[in-house]
Amino acid sequence: MQSDAEFGEGWLRALIVDDSSVMRKVIERALGQAGLELTEVLQASNGEEALQMLRDNQSASTPLALILSDINMPVMDGLQFLETRRQEYLAQGVPVVMITTEGNEAFVLRAIAAGAQGYICKPFTAEQVKVRVLPLLRAA
Amino acid sequence: MTKVQDEAMTRLDSAVSEVFETMLERSCDPLDGEVDTVEGRIVARIQFTGAVDGECLLYASQATASVTAEVLLGTPSEPHDPMVDDAIGELCNMIAGGWKSKLADPDSNCMISTPAVTRQGLEGYQPKFGTKFSRNYSFQGNVFGVVLAF
Repeated sequence: MQSDAEFGEGWLRALIVDDSSVMRKVIERALGQAGLELTEVLQASNGEEALQMLRDNQSASTPLALILSDINMPVMDGLQFLETRRQEYLAQGVPVVMITTEGNEAFVLRAIAAGAQGYICKPFTAEQVKVRVLPLLRAA
Repeated sequence: MTKVQDEAMTRLDSAVSEVFETMLERSCDPLDGEVDTVEGRIVARIQFTGAVDGECLLYASQATASVTAEVLLGTPSEPHDPMVDDAIGELCNMIAGGWKSKLADPDSNCMISTPAVTRQGLEGYQPKFGTKFSRNYSFQGNVFGVVLAF
């Protein structure tokens, strides 16, 4: 098994989608505490902005390694974002983890059906982020 | 206090404690006493719809809100930094979401809104719901209040 340090090689790019700027920073900090050294963190405040970033980054030389998204957001929520991303074949193969206050089973099932590979309920610890995210990066 | 209020308050205490211990690594305890409605406080509101119709309001002074933002972010913040309002909104979001998840049937169809944050205080606040209670909480001497109405 790879150690956490092997993910700290300076090539990881992540997209964090949350309408709260505080939460985007908290998630970024949690990724750092999980041992990930991210070269770039793209930030979007709703699903529509995130989709545009994915469209703009399709030809980027360093692909995205991870997407973390809230569900409950204005303009376009996280589930619509996932479903549209899948319809447009954007960032295929990039693991998506939902980070949300919505622990309702219906939301979890819909997120998984739309392509989410992980689900973290707020409030969360950095350790929970690590446990959910690292296996996905190792498998990617 | 009715049984419904009592159960709702127990769930609220649990949700507040969980958010603070997990996200802020602080203990947060309920305080006895009435809610004061000093003007100029930062107020965040989350609305419930569906299985529960109601709202959750969280209000805090600028000083408490600044400390909350600092603890969440791990960096200092200025009182008028938009991050301070955002931190109070997100705190309200997590507490309301936690309260909702502790309902008797957590998978019931209850939706929560995104947080709306103002600096208008609670002056003149009149909930349009039948059951309402308020509770003050303190973490490290920083006091904030939560109102639940449904």
